[in-house]
Amino acid sequence: MNLRRNPDLQDRLAAEYVLGTLRGPARLRFQRLMLEDAGLRGVVDAWQARLVPIAAAVAPVQPPKRVWENIRARTDGPAGKAARSGGLWDSLSFWRNLGLIASGATAALLASVVLFSPAAPRPAPAPQIVRVPADELPAAYVAVLTDPKSQKPVLAVSAARNSTQLIVKRLDAGIVVPEKSLELWALPPGKAPRSLGVVATQEKHAVNLKGAADAALGDATVLAISLEPPGGSPTGAPTGPVLYTGACVKIW
Amino acid sequence: MTASPDDLPGLLTACARHDRRAFEQLYRATSPKLFGVALRILKREDWAEEVLQEAYVSIWTHAGGYASGLSAPMTWMTSIVRNRCLDWLRRPRMEQSDPDGEIADATASDFEGPLALLERSSDASAIAACLKGLEPRQRQTIVLAFYEGLSHSELAAHLREPLGTVKTWVRRGLARLKGCLATAA
Repeated sequence: MNLRRNPDLQDRLAAEYVLGTLRGPARLRFQRLMLEDAGLRGVVDAWQARLVPIAAAVAPVQPPKRVWENIRARTDGPAGKAARSGGLWDSLSFWRNLGLIASGATAALLASVVLFSPAAPRPAPAPQIVRVPADELPAAYVAVLTDPKSQKPVLAVSAARNSTQLIVKRLDAGIVVPEKSLELWALPPGKAPRSLGVVATQEKHAVNLKGAADAALGDATVLAISLEPPGGSPTGAPTGPVLYTGACVKIW
Repeated sequence: MTASPDDLPGLLTACARHDRRAFEQLYRATSPKLFGVALRILKREDWAEEVLQEAYVSIWTHAGGYASGLSAPMTWMTSIVRNRCLDWLRRPRMEQSDPDGEIADATASDFEGPLALLERSSDASAIAACLKGLEPRQRQTIVLAFYEGLSHSELAAHLREPLGTVKTWVRRGLARLKGCLATAA
């Protein structure tokens, strides 16, 4: 099915994407196609202009005060600065490098899929993850990925500097998604995300790296998990929403 | 110079220049509507609050990417909130949205209500007239999908109709809306 050569299908899928009835893997595939195809984004923009005014009839509800307080804290504090001037956002600049022109649909898409790291990275419980005597902790990389919704840790990732394996420990059994893969990415500031592999479903396992952890993680400041089709991203770049993130720290 | 609260494009432009006062004005002017949109889809206040927070953090961060020539500010911001709600519903979780169906029951039957409101809204009178011109079942599926964030299978279950039938109503309804809006423009 070649979407580019089928304007009728493009139009139908764009309409259902904006309406919200395009779901699951089809929605993810469509979002990926939008990032690659300016024409398709134009079709989506047109459908947004048609359908989104329907929202005018929704009764307004005053959100509680704490919502603005949280937004202010998240845009004012370290996370806000990180979002603007470094960290995750800069490392996601690859999206802008795909030759994207300004498009309402793209901006709305980017704004809706990019999540930011929590304001205060949690201290990594390193001694529990790296099982060595506490008085001789090895030089290692450690990251604890959290769910921005609950602020709870969901995944601990660690690797000794010279090891070619990442140790991944699941801290929350609820993160496994049927018929989807969770893909782990290293996010170096100013560079495209690098895949570290797909996280398996068992509670604790090793992921083989292509080289030493120093090469895979040395320049990464953040690790992130994105939701991908089974087996991982088919493009080599994240295609689904970023679900969890955490600072990647060197503990030596 | 700070834009007036009614000047949403001006406020977004000011946000792109990191004008925090403009951001607060934008929030005050738009958050009740966007919170209403999120609540209708997510049906849980805590989730809607979280989505609203994420959405405004994104709006602040991406205000520079907003292109006023391409979409109206409310269309752009509402799309961000709706996309986030739909992504949220896809995320892994143990809990259920509206487990007892109370919110769904309370809102499902009044789908004609929003349409009457829509007709009185100057921004949306064209879409309101075109929705009115649809066959009742086409209108019902489109309005339920839009306001409540229901998928095809949820629509089919809710309306107790076969999935294929519901898909056809949605598809034909959308095609007719497009034709109607093109004539109205």
